[in-house]
Amino acid sequence: MSGAKVLVVDDEPQIRRMMRATLTSNGYQVDEARTGEEALEKFRAFLPDLVLLDLNMPGMDGLETCRELRQGSDVPIVILTVRDTEKEKVEALDAGADDYVCKPFGMQELLARLRAALRRSPGSSEGGPQSFVSPDLEIDFDNRRVRVKDNNVRLTPKEFDLLRHLVGRGGKPVPHRELLQAVWGPDYGDETEYLRVFINHLRKKIEPDPARPKYVLTEPWVGYRFAMPDQQ
Amino acid sequence: MALVGAIVFVCLRVLPANSLTVALTLVLAIVGIATRWGLTESIAASIGGVLGLNYFFLPPVGTFTITDPQNWVALAAFLVTAITVSQLSVGVRRRAAEAIARRQEVERLNALGQAMLLSGSVRSAAREIVNSIIRTFDIPGAVLFNQIENEFLRSDARAQSIAEDQLRRVADSGEAAIDAKSLTAVVPIRLGGQVIGSLGLIGCTLSAAALNAVAYLAAIGIERSRSIEEAGKVEAARRSEVLKATLLDALAHDLKTPLTSIKGAVTHLLAQQPGAEDKELLTIANEEADRLNRLVVEVLEMARIEASKLHPDRAPHDINDIVAAALKAQEESLKGRAVELRILSPLPAADVDFEFIQQVLKQLLDNAVKYSAPGTPVEIAAETAGERIVVSVSDRGSGIAEEEQSRVFDKFYRGRKSRERVLGTGLGLSIAKGIIEAHGGKIWVTSAPGKGSVFSFAVPMVKGELVR
Repeated sequence: MSGAKVLVVDDEPQIRRMMRATLTSNGYQVDEARTGEEALEKFRAFLPDLVLLDLNMPGMDGLETCRELRQGSDVPIVILTVRDTEKEKVEALDAGADDYVCKPFGMQELLARLRAALRRSPGSSEGGPQSFVSPDLEIDFDNRRVRVKDNNVRLTPKEFDLLRHLVGRGGKPVPHRELLQAVWGPDYGDETEYLRVFINHLRKKIEPDPARPKYVLTEPWVGYRFAMPDQQ
Repeated sequence: MALVGAIVFVCLRVLPANSLTVALTLVLAIVGIATRWGLTESIAASIGGVLGLNYFFLPPVGTFTITDPQNWVALAAFLVTAITVSQLSVGVRRRAAEAIARRQEVERLNALGQAMLLSGSVRSAAREIVNSIIRTFDIPGAVLFNQIENEFLRSDARAQSIAEDQLRRVADSGEAAIDAKSLTAVVPIRLGGQVIGSLGLIGCTLSAAALNAVAYLAAIGIERSRSIEEAGKVEAARRSEVLKATLLDALAHDLKTPLTSIKGAVTHLLAQQPGAEDKELLTIANEEADRLNRLVVEVLEMARIEASKLHPDRAPHDINDIVAAALKAQEESLKGRAVELRILSPLPAADVDFEFIQQVLKQLLDNAVKYSAPGTPVEIAAETAGERIVVSVSDRGSGIAEEEQSRVFDKFYRGRKSRERVLGTGLGLSIAKGIIEAHGGKIWVTSAPGKGSVFSFAVPMVKGELVR
């Protein structure tokens, strides 16, 4: 997605300079914000296709900014941070981030992550299911709409793609690696914590009882499975 | 005596009464005297009464002789009655006085207890205790000996009259020394059966029970101040730990931020198909940025280990999974090597932090690769030993001389032969050691120079939980 608009949010001026130069040279349009508050402002004016968000900022920190952005938008968010423990990753994904890149990073790696975050898995026009309907869950894959008990539910693009891929496999277990590559892209495969967090989000949004899911089921040691009505 | 005289005079001259009336009136007066003044006075009054009755009322009147034997009996009965009643009444009086004194003691002990509990200051707790005792019991001086701190605390110069030796003796023997003559008392201060000091009181009229109670209150006061101080220390230690962790995080951020700009810029330029010369220089810059980053990560990790900031998030994990993850991460450097796995099956689950143990394994694999010839095999083995799982990584490298084996886990220690040849910070193995020790485990090396080295670590297993 060349020409995509990227909002770089970081309190470090040198990092913003470097990102602007490298991303612009790779065909992206770039705007910058120095703080979380400024990011929210710029977001409304610039309408970026993706947000690159530093976690460690004075004032409103990255996690909080991420949550704020998520409240009103499903824009892809990629977190940049110096901390690289699994706990931090899960926290960031839980706050609504799509991906997580550890500083310092190579530019090629970052560009690959940006492409993965911007990509949408192929729509139903290129195959895959068109819709799913059951008494308490309706999914319209063409229009990317989900209704739970007659209420519209907003899924982020990654959540939606995850759901589409699971439903598309018609009740068969889908291995972790396959899911990660289908939704994030070919460079992924080992980030099972991503799946854990996103499946959790998905269950909260579409399951009548998220603690005892009836649609999105865990297949121990393998992956996940979408239970079709005849399998429930 | 004057009262006895007065009664005798009145009965004789003012209203002539018979001897019976006089005797009963006298008994009444004697009871009054006993109640008011005490036993000695009432006995004196009784004897006076006998003499007066005999002289003025019993015939022959005006002499101390008695002719009628019945009067002897009457006089003796009078004397016995007067003295017995006196004794009884004095006893009642004493008990009443004692009861009042006990009540006052209890009231004062109560006040003392409250005063001690209200004193919030930690440093001056001993002084507060001594002052409260003096104030509450209204005595001239007191001294507190704290055996644990070996400190004497005297209310003022008057308290010097109790010698340090005496206070020590009481604290050592645990037996109170009460001197009724000089009104000084030294009692041991006990807490939970153990003597922790002694308390000396001057001008003290307290009962033994009250003294013990005061000593007990002092013990509680001392213990309370000690536990407040302990709690303060724990809080201070916790704060300094939080501060260290925050500092380390800030340091990590500040060191990695410039590295991010450098690496981002260099890798971007590398991707623009630079000429051969530029590419070489940019590659060097990129590799050095990576090296600097590794150094920062390792130094910070070491600092965390030394600040005891390493808290493994332990859970049951399959060693097979950790080995697989470590092998995957080291895929690049293990290229061209045969990796032999000898992992006992079934193996109990290990009670470890997955990421940390994976890091240790990566470090051991990294070392095996660095210190052995390209193409030589590397072996990973895991088995149980008692209630632990022992994992080892062996190489067929040059091995480690015996005198160096004990030092390879030291911070910044680098093998003599390899210092020039192999890149590294000399922190990897000491971090591995820190991680294993944070799990309550052990790490060691056995090596035969020329044949290779075996690095092993033992970590706790989860009893009764077998994995696939």
